[in-house]
Amino acid sequence: MDAIGLWIGAFLTLGIISFLYKDNPWYKLSEAIFVGVSAGYWFITLFWDSIYSKFYIGITDKGDYYLIVGAILGFLMLLRLVPKIGWISRWPLSFIVGAISGFYLINYFSSNVMRQVANTVMPLFSTEYGQSLFTAPIGTIVANIIVAGGTFTGLVYFFFSKEHKGAFGVTARIGIWVIMITFGATFGYTVMSRMSLLIGRMDFIFGDWLGLIK
Amino acid sequence: MRRQIPLIITFFIGTLLVVSVFIPPMESLKETFTLYFDIIAVFAFFLGGGNLLRVHLTKLSRRKQDWVYSIVTVVGFAVVLVIGLLKLGNPGGITASPTAEGSLFQTLFNSILVPLGSTMYALLAFFVASASYRAFRAKNREATILLIAAFVILLGRTPFGMMLTSWIPESFSILQIPSLAVWIMNSPNLAGQRAIMIGIGLGVVSMSIRIILGIERTYLGEEK
Amino acid sequence: MNQIIKRRVITRLSSIVIIKILFLSLPVVAEQLIPTIDDSVEAFIPAPPAEVIATDAVYDQGGAVHLEWQLSPDDDGSAGVYNYQICRQQEGTDEYIPIDSVLAGVSSYIDETVEPGRSYQYIVAVNGDCGSAPSEASNVVTPNIEWLNFGLSNLFVIGLIICGSVIYFIAHAKRGKKLFIRRIAGLEAVDEAIGRATEMGRPILFVPGILDMDDVQTIAALTILGRVSRVVADYDTKISVPVSRSLVMTAARETLKASYMAAGRPDAYSDDMASYITDEQFGYVAAVDGKMVREKPATCFLLGAFFAESLILAETGNSIGAIQIAGTARPAQLPFFVAACDFTLIGEELFAASAYLSGEPKQMGSLKGQDVGKGIAMIIILLGVIATTFGNAWNISLLRRIADFLRTLFEVG
Repeated sequence: MDAIGLWIGAFLTLGIISFLYKDNPWYKLSEAIFVGVSAGYWFITLFWDSIYSKFYIGITDKGDYYLIVGAILGFLMLLRLVPKIGWISRWPLSFIVGAISGFYLINYFSSNVMRQVANTVMPLFSTEYGQSLFTAPIGTIVANIIVAGGTFTGLVYFFFSKEHKGAFGVTARIGIWVIMITFGATFGYTVMSRMSLLIGRMDFIFGDWLGLIK
Repeated sequence: MRRQIPLIITFFIGTLLVVSVFIPPMESLKETFTLYFDIIAVFAFFLGGGNLLRVHLTKLSRRKQDWVYSIVTVVGFAVVLVIGLLKLGNPGGITASPTAEGSLFQTLFNSILVPLGSTMYALLAFFVASASYRAFRAKNREATILLIAAFVILLGRTPFGMMLTSWIPESFSILQIPSLAVWIMNSPNLAGQRAIMIGIGLGVVSMSIRIILGIERTYLGEEK
Repeated sequence: MNQIIKRRVITRLSSIVIIKILFLSLPVVAEQLIPTIDDSVEAFIPAPPAEVIATDAVYDQGGAVHLEWQLSPDDDGSAGVYNYQICRQQEGTDEYIPIDSVLAGVSSYIDETVEPGRSYQYIVAVNGDCGSAPSEASNVVTPNIEWLNFGLSNLFVIGLIICGSVIYFIAHAKRGKKLFIRRIAGLEAVDEAIGRATEMGRPILFVPGILDMDDVQTIAALTILGRVSRVVADYDTKISVPVSRSLVMTAARETLKASYMAAGRPDAYSDDMASYITDEQFGYVAAVDGKMVREKPATCFLLGAFFAESLILAETGNSIGAIQIAGTARPAQLPFFVAACDFTLIGEELFAASAYLSGEPKQMGSLKGQDVGKGIAMIIILLGVIATTFGNAWNISLLRRIADFLRTLFEVG
C-alpha cells in the first residue's frame, strides 16, 4: 500500500510540476483529481466536524438547543434551489455579513488602530524613562526616529481627502518609500523559505521515490 | 419588504455584535455566531458541491472540450464522499474519527492531497524567481527601493552576506549586511507595517459602518 | 604435567579463599545498606501558604474569581515543594473540594468554574515531600455579573469619535456638500482594464480571495465585484468568478445578478458566472491556474484574502499577458502583488475601493470620515512622541504625564 501511495504521489507531483513547461494532459489529470478529491475531502471534514461533532452532539449530549438557529439559517440558504422563494436565502447571508461587520469593526479597531498608535507613542532618544538626553546609542535614536516618522508618513500616504501635492505630497512620497521597504523586507525574507519548499519536493522525488539520494 | 428584511437583519446583528464587546454577559455571542456560521457553511456546501457536480456533468454530457477530465473529478469527488460518509476502511468503524490514522480516508489524503498540495506550494520557488527577475528590471523608484530592501534581507539571511561585508570595521558594523538586514526588519519595516495596519483598521471600520447602515449593499443583490 | 596440576590447584584454592572472604564480609555490607533511623530528624512538611485572597474578576459575566496567596516560606526553588492544591467550598455545602493545582512558585490562580451570585471560599494547600499543609480559609467571595465593561471605556470613547466622524461625513455628503477624494491609481484603471477585455473579446477573471464570508476582506472583494460587474454588464463582456467557498459562490451570484439587473440586462446573467471549485487552497489554485492558461482572460482581478497562492496566481496571470489589479489586507502577500501585478490596492485602499468606485457622495463621505481617524492617529503619535521624548530628556514630569496619558488612552486591555 505504501509503495502504491509513493508512486501515486510521485506521479501527481510530476504532473503538477509539468505545468511550468505548459498546460498539458498530465497536469489536467492531476488538476482534475486534485479538485474532485479535495472538494470531497473538505466536505467530509466539515460535515463530521460541524454537523456531527458541534451540532448533533451539541444538541443531543449537551442540550445546546440554540444551535438549531444555525441549522434553520443553513436551511434557509438552501431555499435558493426553489426559484419562487429563493430570495429568502438572503436572510442568512445578511446575518453573516452583519455579524462579520460588527465583529471586525471593533476587533480591527482595537488591534490595528488603538494598539499600533499606543505602541508608536515612544521616546526617540532613549527607550526607557530616567535616561538623560543622548545616552542612547546613535543607532537607536535613528531607528526610533524612523519608526515614528515612518508610521506618520505612511499614514499621510493613505490620506484620501487631500491631494498629494506640495509638502503633503513630499511626505506622502516618503511614506510610500517606507511602505516599499516594508514590502522588500517581506519579499526578501520569504524567498529563502520558498526555495526550501522546492528542495522538499525534490527530496521526495529523488530520495523517497527514486532512492537516488539518501 | 423583500428589500428591507435583509437590511434590517444586517443592521440589527451588526449593531448587536458591536455592542456585545462592551457588555460582559454578551461575551459568548461571538462564539455562538461562529458556530452558526460553521453550520450554515456546511449547508451551503450542498449548493457549492452541487454546482461542482452540475458543471462537470454538463461538460460530460455535452462532450465539451476536456470532458474526459470531468469524469475524473466527478469520480474522485463521489468516491471520497462515499468513503468519508460511510467511514469505509476505517479501522475504528463508524464511530471512529473520519481522519483516524490508518483509515482509507486519511490514506487518500496522505497519498493524493499531500503530494499535490505541497507540489503546488513548491511551484512558488519558480514563481518567486520569475517575480524577482521582473522586480529586477525595476521600472521606477518605488520598485528599486523594494528591490534593494529585498536584496539586503535576502543576503542577510545567508552566510554570503557576512562574507561580503566582513571587512567593514566593527565601529561601522551597522553597515555589515546581516546587521543592516536586522535594522531594516526592526525599523523601516516596522514603521511600514504599522502604517498599513492602522490604515486597514480604519478601512474596516468605515466599510463595516457602510454595511451596517445599509449604504453598501451590493453583496445582497440590492443595487439601488 | 606436574606444573599444570600445580597451577590448577592454586587457582582453585585462591577462588575458594575469595569466595570465603566475600561471604564473611556480607553482613558488614548489608549493615551499611540499611539506613539507620535518626529519631531527631522530622519528616519535611513545608510551611503552609498564607493570606489567600479571593476577588471577583472585574468586567466579566460573573464567571471568574482571582485567587492570590503568599508562597510557602519553604517554596524557594528547592525540590521539597511540589505544587499547590486549590480547594473550594461552595455556599451551602460543608466541604472543600479540590478543583485544580498549580506548580510550586506560582502564587495566583483564576477559577473560571464559578457561577455568578453564589458565594465561595478557598483553601490553598502546599504539597511537599512528606505531606501537605493547608492555608487558612480565604475571604468569602461572591462573583457578580457586570453589565458594562468599564475596562474598555477608552475603546468606547475613541471608537465613538471615529465612527461618529464617518457617520457625520456620510450625512454631510448626503446633504449635497462636495467632498474631494484624490485619485487612486489602481481604481482609475478598472474601467480601462474592463474596456481592454471588451476590445480583445476575452473574458475577465475575478478571484475574491480564498477565505469564506467570515473574513472581512472577502466582503470587501464582493462589494468591488458589484461595481466591476456593473460596468461589465454594460460592456457585455464575459466575466468569470471562480470561488473556493460555497457561501462566497452564493453571495457572488447575488452580487452579479443585481448588477445585471441594474444594467437592465437580466437576461445576460447566468449562474455559471460564479462557480465553486474546492475549499482546498492549492486545489483551488491549480484549477484557477489551469483556467487562466486555457481561457486567457485579458484582465484579472485578485482581490480579497490571499496566502501563499498570491504569487502563483499573479505570476500565471502575468505569463498570459493579462492586466492585473490586485489588492489584499494581508501585509505578507502585498509585496508579491506589487512585484507581479500592474496595480495593487494596499490594505486600506481595498476597503475604500467599493466606495470610491460607486462615486456616490454618501460612500465618498465615509472615506473622508476614515481620514479623520488617520488624522487623530497622526496627532496622537506626534504629540505623544514629542511629549515622551522631551519629558524624558529634560525630566519634565508634566510632559511625561501627558505621554503616559496618551499611551494609556490607546492601550486596550
